[in-house]
Formats: sequence, C-alpha cells, structure tokens
Amino acid sequence: MKTVVITGASSGIGLETARLLARLGYNVLGIGRSEANCNKAKELILSENTNAKVEYFLADLMQQREVNRVSEKINAYLNERCNGELHALINNAGCVRSWYMTTYEGYEQQFALNHLAGFLLTYKLLPALKKAQGRVIMTGSDSHKGIKVHWNDVMLRHRYNPLTAYKQSKLCNLLFAKGLNDRFALDGIRAYVVDPGLVNTDIGNKDTGFLVNLIWKIRKKHGVSPDVPAKTYAYLCEVKDVPDGLYFYLCKEKNYSKEVTKENADRLFELSERLCDIQYGKVGMT
Amino acid sequence: MNVMITGAAGGLGRAMANECASRGYNLFLTDINEDGLTCLKQGLERQFGVTVTTMACDLTNTESVDKMLDVIDKHGIRFDMLLNVAGMDYEGEFMGHEREKLVKIVLLNNAATLRITHAIIKRRRPGKKFTIVFVSSLASMFPMPLKATYAASKRFLLDFATSLRQELKRQDVNVLTLCPGGMVTTPGAINGIKAQGFWGDATTNPLEGVVRNTIDRALSGKRLYVPGMLNRILSFLGKIIPSTWVAKVIYWRWKEVSHNGSAS
Repeated sequence: MKTVVITGASSGIGLETARLLARLGYNVLGIGRSEANCNKAKELILSENTNAKVEYFLADLMQQREVNRVSEKINAYLNERCNGELHALINNAGCVRSWYMTTYEGYEQQFALNHLAGFLLTYKLLPALKKAQGRVIMTGSDSHKGIKVHWNDVMLRHRYNPLTAYKQSKLCNLLFAKGLNDRFALDGIRAYVVDPGLVNTDIGNKDTGFLVNLIWKIRKKHGVSPDVPAKTYAYLCEVKDVPDGLYFYLCKEKNYSKEVTKENADRLFELSERLCDIQYGKVGMT
Repeated sequence: MNVMITGAAGGLGRAMANECASRGYNLFLTDINEDGLTCLKQGLERQFGVTVTTMACDLTNTESVDKMLDVIDKHGIRFDMLLNVAGMDYEGEFMGHEREKLVKIVLLNNAATLRITHAIIKRRRPGKKFTIVFVSSLASMFPMPLKATYAASKRFLLDFATSLRQELKRQDVNVLTLCPGGMVTTPGAINGIKAQGFWGDATTNPLEGVVRNTIDRALSGKRLYVPGMLNRILSFLGKIIPSTWVAKVIYWRWKEVSHNGSAS
C-alpha cells in the first residue's frame, strides 16, 4: 500500500484529494490545523469506505516548530507501519493574508506557510521519500505568472500587498519544485506543481479582512468544485512513467513563468535553507 | 546601535524587531513569552545576521526586572534606543472583568513601562543620542467606554511622554509617542476588524509601514506619530468635540461591534 502525506487536508482541495486518494487505496496521512475539521474529514472518508486507511495529524504548519514536531510524528508512523516509505507528499496548505502578519520567527505568513512550510516538511520527510522514490506535489496557481521574486524584500515589509505576497509565494512553489528536481531527480524523486484553476474553497475567507473577503466571496462562485483539481494530484501520484513536466493543469502539462530558472531556483533554495536553518545536502547525515 | 524592545514576541514587537534588524541594529529583546523570544531570535539572525540577545522577563515584577538589569550590567550592554511595546488589554465592560485583571493592565502598561524606561535611560550609551518610543494608541485621544482602563492607561503614556520629552530635551534624548489605530498584530485582531466591516479595513494601519515610519520619525526628533489620515482626523475630532459626546458615540459603536459577535 502506498502512503501519501497531504497538508491542509481538512478542507478544500486538500480534503477532496485525500478523499480521492483514499478511494484509490492509498494510506492517507492528512495534516490540518483544526481538530474539529480533521475529525470531520476523517469521518467523511471512513463513511465512504470503512476500510479506508486514513489518519490525521494536527499542526499549524506556518510555525516551524510545528513542522518539526509533526514531521517527527509522521516519520515515526512511517517507520513503524510503512517500512519507512513515503510515496507522495502533497504540500497543499496555503493561506491568504489581507495584512502583513508574521510567524513566531518574524516571517511573513503567506511566505511562511505557502512556501517555507513545504520546504521544511519536504526536507524532514526526504529520507522516506527517497526510499520510495516518491513524488512531491505543490499546490500552485496561475497567479504565479507576471511577477518576480522580491529578492531584496521577500517578506514584503515594504508595501505589503496581499495579492503580491500570494503570487510570489506561488512562484516560489514552482522554483522549489524545480530546485528539488535539479537536486534529487537522480535519487528518483520528482516534484510537480498543480494549477488547481479557480476553485470554490474558503481560502480567501479565512482570517482575511473585509475587502479580500468580499472579493473572494464573489470570485469563488465562478470556481469549480475542489474534486476537479483533486484528479490532477491523483494522476501525478499514480502515473507510471514519470512525466518530465513541472506544472500541471487538468492532468496535462502547462506553461509556466519564465522566471522559473535554475538561477532563481538555486537562489530560493539557498535563502530557504538559511531561513529554516537546514541543509538539503546533509540529509541523513545527522 | 543597540536597541531594547519590550513585548518583542508579540505582533507589533516582532514587526519592530524586524524593522530594526533590517537596519542592522543589534537587539536586546524581552517579553514574558520565552519560547516566542527564542523563535524570533532565530528568525532575525537567519534573516539579517544581526546580534540578538533575548531574556524573558515579567516587567510587572521588580525582581524579574532587576535580574535582567544585572545581566545587562554584567555584560556592560548600553543602549541607544528603547522601544516600549509591552502592553495589554481586556476589552469589555469594567464590571465584567475580574478586579485583578483590570489592575494588571495598569501595572503593565504604566507602572512597568516607567520602571523599564527609568532603568534603560540610566543605561544609555554615554555621549550618544538616545531615543525612546512609547506605544500609546489612538484610544489615548478619547475616553473609551468598554476599553476604559486601556484607553486611560494609554492617555497616561501620551502625557507622560510629552513631559519626559521636555525634561530630557537638553540631554540629547528624543521621545516619540506612537498612537496607532487598529493593527493586525494577533490572529484575534482579524475578527475584531471583520466585525467592523468596511470601517475595520479603513481604520486598520499597515503594520509594516507603521513600524518603519515610527523608527524614522523617532530618529529624526518627532514627538507624535498618528498613522493614517483617517486616524489623524479622528484624533483631531477628539480634541474639539466634548468628551461626554465622544464617550456616547464610542459606547454605541463598540457595543454594536461586540454584538456582531466576533469581536474579541
């Protein structure tokens, strides 16, 4: 049985992907923030198939100490019951913030959750991913186009704008996926980014202000149901011949921003390693 | 430049620390939340490579403050700037709270701020300019029913700072008072803003801009900083409209907001 870890798995795209993969026979390990939502999600999945393998872990992944804590638990679980193998990690958890807000480390929250959390969690689960020649899938967005990384101010302390922060964090998802492939493709690991399209979820209504709330309430009505993008995640988990592409929409490759270069990917990798105080090159050496 | 920040692990304190660290200042951070300080120290050092010293301290406790001062003196740390950020509030009716909780607001916002200010001015770097920032609030401009203790404690800081500024003017010290409107410093703050609908967004000051301007203005010798045009208008109105009227309006407005349910 294949094991998959999904972050932000208690609602929206993460929940639908968890449901679909559970139906396809995966052992699903979900991560969520709210205990109530996680319990509900688990019940829902079990109600569709009493034999489904599903487990939820609680963590607020925006905070690095929480990533460290939950990854230890998951690694212990994988070693105990899954032969230390992880077939897919879906870094899906994301947020929108109307205002500049920081984590305990003082990092801007969209950058911290949408990018750094996945960067750190992937690092922590890398040995298990290597063992299973697993895949790492990020939830991206077409909004990553038409923006550059603000290298001199990635936390956007100057003129913070919710959309800029979101777009940049989604560009980082692509750069991270490229950086992973450049480094670990030879180990059998492949990283992808899914463009879910416009999806009817609550991302813009959680902890946002009046304006973002209003815009998203109107906008999400035109979105598809989250079970549509879920199929693309399942495709990328299931497909036998590993596709070469990086960015997928409706199970097909798609063009991405010209900003996704090796130079930028390396630069982000180096910066993220510093901000998480880790070195990917030294995995397994501690 | 050595900067002491109190309440550094909270939302505003972290933003101040980020701003100062981005300017290359060395930081001495204190807060009652030790874990928060540890995380922030890591984050600042990784981002900016500055020297960050942290020490958990309950500023309302004399012994705790003395212990911190001993450490400061032992290492001979001397300061160029003090940012008094530590403060607290329990919103709601005066009689709806436990007695000692209310007293604690004044103990921290006022008594502790005086304690640390006195101690750090004594430990200013000799022969150099010294800068002090008091974090007051837009609430200091009016009597505020349902935030009565908090608003009065912030008024104390505003008046105190103005007087202290005059006393220390000739000693190359500048004192600035920051009087912000709402800022999104905690997850709970978002609910309060949401409950106010459009006005919540309109009176909310962007944290990152406020901290940058605060440091700029404090260093260039300004006395008062009220961020945002709307807030400046409100503070002006607070001066010309009779305070009993203001109290009435504010009472009804906040009553409604907290009635909307999500205001914390």
